[in-house]
Amino acid sequence: MDITADYDAISQCNRCGFCQVACPVFRSTGQESGVARGRLALLRGIIEERVPWGRELEDPLFTCLGCGACTANCFGAVPLVDLIITARGQYLEQVGRKSIHKLLFDHLLPYPDRLHLAARAVAMGKKTGLSKLAGALGLLRVLGRDLARADRIIDRLPATAFRQKIVPGIYAGSGRKLSVGYFVGCGIDIIQQRTGHATLGLLRNIARQVIVLDNGCCGLPAWTYGDMPAARRLMRKNLEMFTRLSVDLIVTDCSSCAGFLKKYDTIAARTCAADSVDDSKKMPAVPEIRDMVEFLCQHRENVSRDDALPDLNPSRQGCTPIVVTYHDPCHAVRGQGLGRESRELLDGLPDMVFREMPESDWCCGGAGAYALSHYDLSMTVLDRKMDNVAATGADLLVTSCPACMIQLSHGVRRKQLDTRVCHISEIYRYRHGRISGG
Amino acid sequence: MIDNRLIQSLVAVVGQSRVSVTRTGMELYSYDASLVKGHPSVVVFPADSSQVAQVVKMAVQAGVDIVPRGFGTNLSGGTISVTRGLVIAMTRFNNILEICPENRYAVVQPGVTNLEVQQALAKFGAFYAPDPASQKVATLGGNAGENSGGPLCLKYGVTTNHILGMELVTADGEILRIGGPALDPPGLDLRGILVGSEGTLGIVTELTLRTLPRCESVITMLAVYDEIQAAARSVSGISSAGIVPSTLEMMDATVIEAVEASAPCGYPTDAAAVLIIEVEGVRAGLEEQAARIRQICMDTGCRNIQTAGNAAERDRLWQGRRGAFGAIARLAPNYLVNDACVPRTRLPEALEQVGAIAEHYGCRVGNVFHAGDGNLHPLLLFDSRNPRELDMVHRAGWDIMAACVSLGGTISGEHGIGKEKQAAMHMIFSHDDLAAQRLVKQAFDPHQRINPDKIIPLPYPQGGPFLLNRPGGMSASGVSAAADAIQAAAEAGRSVLITGTGCFANACHLSSTDTTPVSTLGMTDIIEYDPANQFITAGAGMSLSSLQQVLGKNNQWLPLRPPWRGEIITTGAVAATGVSGPERMRYGAPRDLALGLRYLDSRGRIIAAGGKVVKNVAGYDMTRLMIGSYGGLGMITEITWKVVTRADTCLAVQARGSLTHCVQAALTLMNAPLFPALIVAAPATDHPPAGSSPFILTVGFEGHAAAVRHKAAVCGNLVKDAGLDSATLDTYDIVAGCLRKSFADLDRYPFILKASGSLDFLLHNVQVIDDLAHPDHWLLDCGNGRVFAALNQLPDDMWRSLTCGADFWSSDAATMKNARTKGAGNHIILEKFPNAFCRTHDLFSPIPGPVQDLTRRIKQALDPGRLFVSGQLT
Repeated sequence: MDITADYDAISQCNRCGFCQVACPVFRSTGQESGVARGRLALLRGIIEERVPWGRELEDPLFTCLGCGACTANCFGAVPLVDLIITARGQYLEQVGRKSIHKLLFDHLLPYPDRLHLAARAVAMGKKTGLSKLAGALGLLRVLGRDLARADRIIDRLPATAFRQKIVPGIYAGSGRKLSVGYFVGCGIDIIQQRTGHATLGLLRNIARQVIVLDNGCCGLPAWTYGDMPAARRLMRKNLEMFTRLSVDLIVTDCSSCAGFLKKYDTIAARTCAADSVDDSKKMPAVPEIRDMVEFLCQHRENVSRDDALPDLNPSRQGCTPIVVTYHDPCHAVRGQGLGRESRELLDGLPDMVFREMPESDWCCGGAGAYALSHYDLSMTVLDRKMDNVAATGADLLVTSCPACMIQLSHGVRRKQLDTRVCHISEIYRYRHGRISGG
Repeated sequence: MIDNRLIQSLVAVVGQSRVSVTRTGMELYSYDASLVKGHPSVVVFPADSSQVAQVVKMAVQAGVDIVPRGFGTNLSGGTISVTRGLVIAMTRFNNILEICPENRYAVVQPGVTNLEVQQALAKFGAFYAPDPASQKVATLGGNAGENSGGPLCLKYGVTTNHILGMELVTADGEILRIGGPALDPPGLDLRGILVGSEGTLGIVTELTLRTLPRCESVITMLAVYDEIQAAARSVSGISSAGIVPSTLEMMDATVIEAVEASAPCGYPTDAAAVLIIEVEGVRAGLEEQAARIRQICMDTGCRNIQTAGNAAERDRLWQGRRGAFGAIARLAPNYLVNDACVPRTRLPEALEQVGAIAEHYGCRVGNVFHAGDGNLHPLLLFDSRNPRELDMVHRAGWDIMAACVSLGGTISGEHGIGKEKQAAMHMIFSHDDLAAQRLVKQAFDPHQRINPDKIIPLPYPQGGPFLLNRPGGMSASGVSAAADAIQAAAEAGRSVLITGTGCFANACHLSSTDTTPVSTLGMTDIIEYDPANQFITAGAGMSLSSLQQVLGKNNQWLPLRPPWRGEIITTGAVAATGVSGPERMRYGAPRDLALGLRYLDSRGRIIAAGGKVVKNVAGYDMTRLMIGSYGGLGMITEITWKVVTRADTCLAVQARGSLTHCVQAALTLMNAPLFPALIVAAPATDHPPAGSSPFILTVGFEGHAAAVRHKAAVCGNLVKDAGLDSATLDTYDIVAGCLRKSFADLDRYPFILKASGSLDFLLHNVQVIDDLAHPDHWLLDCGNGRVFAALNQLPDDMWRSLTCGADFWSSDAATMKNARTKGAGNHIILEKFPNAFCRTHDLFSPIPGPVQDLTRRIKQALDPGRLFVSGQLT
């Protein structure tokens, strides 16, 4: 992988600066090193041999959230995220990588059970090899931000992984058609299990049968970090598993996974040089992928609600209507062009009033492993988001990406808001006409 | 020199993470949105004006050059350090400090983007008129630095017409306040020279913007043309019909094609050009206006014209214009936008030449531009990786500027000169003109540390001056005689007193007896009058009333009604004093209406400033500096005025009530979408005490009949709601106005003073003046926040307490610093006084010390021998 191959795309930047207003990082720092125009100028400088590879490039290359807001605001639609990730890959080759990342991508993320064990081990303060690794990586920050500092840690981190309770396999549904594969993201598996239950319930309402997949990480974290070989290994593992399935489509309730799964084809094409297997063995084809948001929007007439919506702020219990606002995950709104669907789902629900927040499509600063190395910057970005949330006075902050949910929950606690963060599946699965305590 | 010690001191001021010195860091500040490149040595990110001041002091002490920078979207290289200096990035100055819609101003930090302030104002039903196409990302500091325009400027004017004041860090590292919500502070128009100075005279750390109430309704139309000349004819036809659309945007076939290819919005792809025409105002009469526009378009060769039926359709029509740059951007790796300007009737020729130039250099070009003010934006496509193409677009850009200048235009309408167009300054300015501008730079920045080597070119870089073909100047009648008289006086060591019909000469100190009076009265030529392009250039000795007569033949006028001596005042005196009446709220003051001027400097040389197109940002705005300078910097010989079509209907609404009720009604009117031409309150009886006696509120509306009648009716209801008694309606003459009698009543007294503050200070100001001076008569110019008070006598101690005694008027730096909302910048000026009075008294409240120093330095630079008698203003 060499960014020289992207010289044309990089040169398309006319330095008009329109990316600056859209970039959450630039709005936090005000420095060119934190915005598309600056990053592209450096890439061009590298190609034109004015800028040498070195540690000075780490910040400009790795502070990008990858939210894609710059591209959406760019006259020439320069695909900054793809370019920057290629450059990260080259940075790792030219300047060096931390071996610890290799362990994460090669030995932890591909294996759901190991990942859960590692997270739990760290949470419980156990000194095992895995926990040491996960601790060193700031895995807790990735998965739970302030989990380590919060009370009731163990309560919040479920004792067993989602797929230890819901064993991968076939589950009968009440729908007439459709065999659906449920791709379980790492966040759902380890932390947001209530979302997982809600999604599975909804899928079973809609589909004839649901297959809970035994998938590993989608590969997005590895790709974002610039580790192309690791990303391809994760992709290949999933794709090969998909070929063995008999499903009409695959649904995931993680918009980040969905966005990345949909991009498998293009990513595979862009990164094929990084794969030693590639010469002999073609990457399997990508099946139909649906984000839960679009799937639910299409089939919402067919779902039924179950238990009461839990954990609303006590002072608001029994009050109607409940105020709902929505945060657009980057990988939904720009990654997949989904935005209308979530509004259609939320607007006009009984006893709920939808209130749009300012800058709803701005990144929350979660951005997967971003907080790993850029905690403070990530918090500045989050604070802007939470101010916008607070302005709506929402009881429920709804979104469709577990990574965003972690970050937003942290934001709620940070700002001490009376707002509950939940997944859009939960809104549809859990009855909200009557609200009970707890 | 930049060394570790300097870096350490910078870090101590702004913090470690706010100083960047790495090689990568410097690469990131080597560019802006132009093609200019240059590496700084260090970049700092200060948080407030005191940090900026400290950084400036340190840099100047270390002998390091400074370049201020906002979001770096400059299109002429203005934010690039070409001398390996220090960049002060203003990106942390991003707060809106105050919004005051009734008083029509907002206070912002320079790092706030134009769009952010628009969004904040929209919540109050207000807006800020300049709306550059880059408003999403361009900061207000940059807007002020470049004197930005935008589509709406056709109707409302450019940035300089909408900046009321600023906080400035000077080259000495002093923090000073210039202007504020109160209009026209005494002294030189420093904000006039600072706006458009491209960050070369100081660093702006706060801005006071003039805001306006939003219009009630808007009609958007798309006119389609088979030939581009027909579109240009429509543009001229619309303006000469006296209709001022809020926008008149044109796109040519290349752009239409590109837009339709990337994001179709229904432009016909076989058209040669489309015009987006928008009119806004009150609902009443707007449709008639739109219908007239449609008729004019069809009469001038339009294929068809469609009107947006709703907001969605309107968005769709605009979508193409907004996306034009993007659509073009996809056709090639890079594009260069040139922003040369021509008088709008010359647009067809200009476009033809642009096409020919592009063909000559073999580069593709698309045209999207502000047709209403003749501001071109040819987009030249190229690949910056190819040195030959880069060279080619530079040459093409140069030739386009030359072509526009030869058509009577200028080299830059919006984007500034910066580094990119420096050499092209020779196309429009003579050696002497440029030398005068250099002196201004010298006055502000004696050590040439602030953004050096920008704007003003080195003398004749390419072997000789370009041909400047300008009528008027020394050849106009009366000018060479005046020049001789000035030179003779200079040689004889006498000073010069500029005279005309005696309307302002007595405002000067006449202590010196060695004074040669030099009269403007021989300068009566109409040098150029172009009704279609709505400008007139006339000698300074021509009286305003004769000028109005000339303009009247084409149903035009110069929208100024000086309160006093309106029959005899010369246009030169209008310019030199900057006088304005209550109609200022609608039409602006002379500073807003002058496009350019010539003057004789202290060596009797003729100096040109500005030009004759509405949008002109080439060089320092010497026009603004000269206007209101009371003849202290030079002798104005001719002025080019922007003129307007006479409104067909003028209606005055009058209602009676207490002073408080009148002011309350005025406040409501200020933020209502009615756009009155004037709001004035005057006592209903002679010799009134200010307290409880009744006042008459007069609100004037000028425009098209239907709209004016509707506005007057709405106004009638509004004033009734505010507690005034039933309103009466009267028509009046546009040139004479409806206030002659009111001002004549004041003019019976020997002393008239004018106190200015924002409108919500009006009552307070009246109270202060009443307590201190017990005036004999009043006129409250509510629309401009001004109080006129007439007195039979003005004893020394009374004038002293009026100007200095009360804290209220005091405007020393200490009280102003924390007085953003406490009347900062309020001031008082004596408008009329017996001749003897000015020999012994200042005629205005004190000018803050640092501002006074700056004023003196400018005087010293432009008139080192103190040739021109100028009183205490300079």
